[in-house]
Amino acid sequence: MSKTYEEINEKIKNGSVVVVTAEEMTQIVKEKGAKQASMEVDVVTTGTFSPMCSSGAIINIGHSTPKIRISKAWINEVPVFCGLAAVDMYIGATEVAREDPLNKVFPGQFKYGGGHVIEDLVRGRDLILEAKSYGTDCYPRRELKTIINIKDMNNAFLLNPRNSYQNYNVAVNVHSKRPLYTYLGILRPNLANANFAGSGLLSPLINDPFYRTIGVGTRIFLGGGIGYVYFYGTQHDPNVPRTEHGIPRGGAGTLAVTGDLKGMSADFLRGVSMTGYGVSLAVGIGVPIPVLDEEMAAFTGISDEEIFAPVVDYSQDYPKAKGEPLGYVSYAQLRSGKIKLRGRTVECASISSLPKAREIALKLKDWIKNGKFELGKPTQPLPTEGSEITCSKLKYRPV
Amino acid sequence: MQRSAYLHFNNDIVDKPLISTLIRKYDIEINILEARITPNEEGSMFIQASGTDENLDKAFGFLVSSGVEVTVRPKRLIWRKEMCTSCGACIAQCLPRALDADPETGIVSYDEDKCIACMLCIPACPYGAVEKSAGA
Repeated sequence: MSKTYEEINEKIKNGSVVVVTAEEMTQIVKEKGAKQASMEVDVVTTGTFSPMCSSGAIINIGHSTPKIRISKAWINEVPVFCGLAAVDMYIGATEVAREDPLNKVFPGQFKYGGGHVIEDLVRGRDLILEAKSYGTDCYPRRELKTIINIKDMNNAFLLNPRNSYQNYNVAVNVHSKRPLYTYLGILRPNLANANFAGSGLLSPLINDPFYRTIGVGTRIFLGGGIGYVYFYGTQHDPNVPRTEHGIPRGGAGTLAVTGDLKGMSADFLRGVSMTGYGVSLAVGIGVPIPVLDEEMAAFTGISDEEIFAPVVDYSQDYPKAKGEPLGYVSYAQLRSGKIKLRGRTVECASISSLPKAREIALKLKDWIKNGKFELGKPTQPLPTEGSEITCSKLKYRPV
Repeated sequence: MQRSAYLHFNNDIVDKPLISTLIRKYDIEINILEARITPNEEGSMFIQASGTDENLDKAFGFLVSSGVEVTVRPKRLIWRKEMCTSCGACIAQCLPRALDADPETGIVSYDEDKCIACMLCIPACPYGAVEKSAGA
């Protein structure tokens, strides 16, 4: 027996829909089996909250008098991209403030950047915009300095070309004698700690490993508001080797997402400062997975014991793009706080927040149960296993 | 019992062997977590002292009567709960586990009594949830 999106949405409208979180679904499938679970449950909600560097916001601030075609601009000293129409700008999450000392005194602190600008926007704070132009006949103004606020903007959209990685590396420091400062946090020497990112069984793409129900137009929880999947994300790679349950054994699928920043909240969008690395934006994402049939029930019943992440050395292998993973560890092992590597016990730390991931899955469940959120039926599925879409290294060609 | 304290020595007493007196006379174990002498020869020290309650009282009484300014259980670190996302990036850096996650909920909390003010959590926190307190 299978269900359609239309049937599930009808149940959401008439209040009879059965929604559970991915954690609850794991228990249900364990106790009752996938077949029974597929008959009882209509929707499984997922969640993740983690720094996601390929993120940003498009804003349109409206025209000044006289008009300006902004060609260079800074918001709270952070450069923003202006290679768009006159008063459209893109705030990239990893852009740092212009006077930031970066890593000149190592490791740099990277206190403020694009991710923080986006958080401040969402908090409704006033920000300072400084803009320059060369002046044209239709846009004569050459300079503009003003206070801006999200509530006065025509548009503010989150527009993230790569979020919600399906799985990710566990980072360790094997060879370096000093701490390494990476985008996965501080890695102490001699395999002292292992850092990971991801919410395991709660993770959106882990619950639909072949992207049967996630595609262009899927409605999602994004940054505390409502967003949409607009395409597969950059570096989307469905052909990564998988386990018997179909779970990729490393980074694989990704999502490109967008949504109205005006409806979002700083509880689920936070500026990030990674010491010695740079700035970023932590994004909260939750994807509802319709339990269309027994197969989807089995997928959403996945447990942390069945999800494996590669352990990668960030002292030599990762930066030099060489070598093989040191091994694979399950999310159950990672969650225990300690993993075994090369005969040693290694402390684990997460860069993603499990409590936030749970909060997102619960919030989304609440929205669906209360009829505030209907499922978006994808108009175009994401490329899945066997497609030509892949993520390969740069083909270097000397000039 | 264990007590952490911040000790400040004026330059007229920096030459006195006060800490060794604590150890020999009051049977106190001292873990010196930080010690500094300023250019004008004033000294400061952050210690963790272990011993019986009675001996600790006597030992700290001795320090005060010797002219040391003692701040027991000083607030060296400020942890702002509202800034914390409970990611847990600090936990593997925090050897005494003053910052730790609840095994059930994963929610991170800070136990001031366990903190040795090593400050390793500050660069590890991506969200600016921990900072040195003024004067630390």
